[in-house]
Amino acid sequence: MNPLVTIRGLCVDAATSAGTAHLLRGVDLDIGRGRIVGVVGESGSGKTTLASALLRLLPANISRISGEIRFDGEDLLTLDSAAMSALRGTRIAMIFQDPMTALNPLFTIGTHLVDVQQRGTAGLSRRDALTRAEAMLTTVGIPDPKRRLSAYPHQLSGGMRQRVMIAMALLVEPDLLLADEPTTALDATVEAQIVQLLSDLRKDFAGSILFISHHLGLVAELCDDLCVMYAGTVVETGPVAEVLAQPKHPYTAALLACEIDDGDTGRLTSIAGEVPSALSTPPGCVFASRCSHRVPLCDHAPPPFEQLGTRGTACLRHRDLAS
Amino acid sequence: MMGGTAGYLASRLVTTVLIVFGAMLLLFSLSVIVPGDPATALIGPQATAAYKAQVIAEMGLDQPVHIRLVRFFSAVLAGDLGTDALTGRRVATVVGSVLPYTFLLTFLAIGLAVLIGVPLGCFAATNRGSVFDHVLAFISVAFIAIPSFVIAIFLLLIFTIWLDWLPVLGTGTAGDFVDQAKRTILPTVALALGWIGFIARLVRSSMLEVMGEPHIRTMRAYGIAPWLITYKYALKNAAIPTIAILGMGVGRLLGGAVLVEIVFARPGLGRLIYDAISARNYPVLQGAVLVVVLVFVITNLIVDLSYSAIDPRIRTQAGREALPR
Repeated sequence: MNPLVTIRGLCVDAATSAGTAHLLRGVDLDIGRGRIVGVVGESGSGKTTLASALLRLLPANISRISGEIRFDGEDLLTLDSAAMSALRGTRIAMIFQDPMTALNPLFTIGTHLVDVQQRGTAGLSRRDALTRAEAMLTTVGIPDPKRRLSAYPHQLSGGMRQRVMIAMALLVEPDLLLADEPTTALDATVEAQIVQLLSDLRKDFAGSILFISHHLGLVAELCDDLCVMYAGTVVETGPVAEVLAQPKHPYTAALLACEIDDGDTGRLTSIAGEVPSALSTPPGCVFASRCSHRVPLCDHAPPPFEQLGTRGTACLRHRDLAS
Repeated sequence: MMGGTAGYLASRLVTTVLIVFGAMLLLFSLSVIVPGDPATALIGPQATAAYKAQVIAEMGLDQPVHIRLVRFFSAVLAGDLGTDALTGRRVATVVGSVLPYTFLLTFLAIGLAVLIGVPLGCFAATNRGSVFDHVLAFISVAFIAIPSFVIAIFLLLIFTIWLDWLPVLGTGTAGDFVDQAKRTILPTVALALGWIGFIARLVRSSMLEVMGEPHIRTMRAYGIAPWLITYKYALKNAAIPTIAILGMGVGRLLGGAVLVEIVFARPGLGRLIYDAISARNYPVLQGAVLVVVLVFVITNLIVDLSYSAIDPRIRTQAGREALPR
């Protein structure tokens, strides 16, 4: 079965006062049907831009988008704005990073949940929409859902608001759910609850999920596939367990080494060097400057993204490194 | 939450009463401090000393200041604004006779400004940088800058003298609604144009700020129709600064439409105050200004209460002044 989403050569540039910033530099990624794909990478690696590009809700300073994003066979980048808008909140839904600001403070939870449903389902009455919303709030673990429907966002905690956002996303029964660091703004206990909730919901949710996080452990727990991003490129993809057990790209390996394990002696490891600026274009591999396996050829040209069965990587030396 | 609302209401009411009392105190001091005595203004400088003393006694001006103060306050609280020094009519009657014209003009002008200014501002914000946006900005600033009486004179020239479409002078024949309505159009437009521009600018900048908020992005991500996002979700957020300005606008127009009233030969509070000052007619001046203050504070009380109706976060922070932004 062909993947739900096929992204090929996706480039996104933004015009800034300092020059053109390359937010995505040719991203290739597949999102399989019913799969949860975890996207990890440091801040600024292009994770959020990737999600925004899938909804085509990019900031106003975007100067160029090229490549293709095939969603169920249709290239989203060639759709007119009406056709794109028709997909939003029906087949593609999104959960945002900061639940504190993602809901309008002047409208009740019920109004939010009714409007997103009525937009997708013509002729749905407010009463029916509220009944569905109430049931969904129960599903996402919100106690006393009837009362919450008439509550305003500020009357709910951050964790509750994120549950509301999840309910909103699930109510429209999307084929693709984009979750942009949905637990980053929450404290650790609440984060664990939300991850538990997402993992519980998997049983009933048939769609695919793009789960963005900078937390590798979280992705390992929740996701089927992993996509490692670095400086606007995808450096490695594959089933989570395989990638984590045997990373093919030096960046993935370095990222794994930075994870805090129970057995650690207490010293935090980090990757030496800095992420190249989005304003510059290194002639070769974007990770070369920080890579401990760098050879002269790495600086020559960007390494091609090689697909080997379920695994994929953009490293010239992945064969040498495997042995 | 109900306790919060009640507390908020109570604290606003107390403030309102204090402002009105303060205004009354100022108005009273005015008649004491300002040189030239009202009795002379009334009967003229040629009057005999005996007659003048009699008038002074009738007006209560021979009493010590504190007695006059108490009399003034108790009279006003009983609804008695005094007697017109020149005509002997009740001040309440004099003010009451012009009040409907002022109310009509003020609320029509502000209403028209909202009805036109708000959609213009929204449209400019959602089409930022377009030709329409630039043209609107130019016209708005022009109408804000031109005094309303200048606009009034031009309207009069164009629509009455050149085109002869509308009769203007006066308020129209009593009982003839159509005639009265016709004569209200131009003064209303003259007063409203500047406010339309002002509100359009204000709504535009508030809307631009709100449109950048994450919750609006949420609505876009869910494909909510743009008109629904603009006029339901964003406009409500942008409404508070606009409503605050409307409160000021009502106050400004109540007593400040005097030049437009003169151009169109209409009675009104502004003109009444102007005439009262010229004639040193203190009772009328005090009464008219007091009514302006009263309507102004009541309008602003309604404005304050409307914030809490719009923003549930204000309802819960009982009686606090600060608006979340």
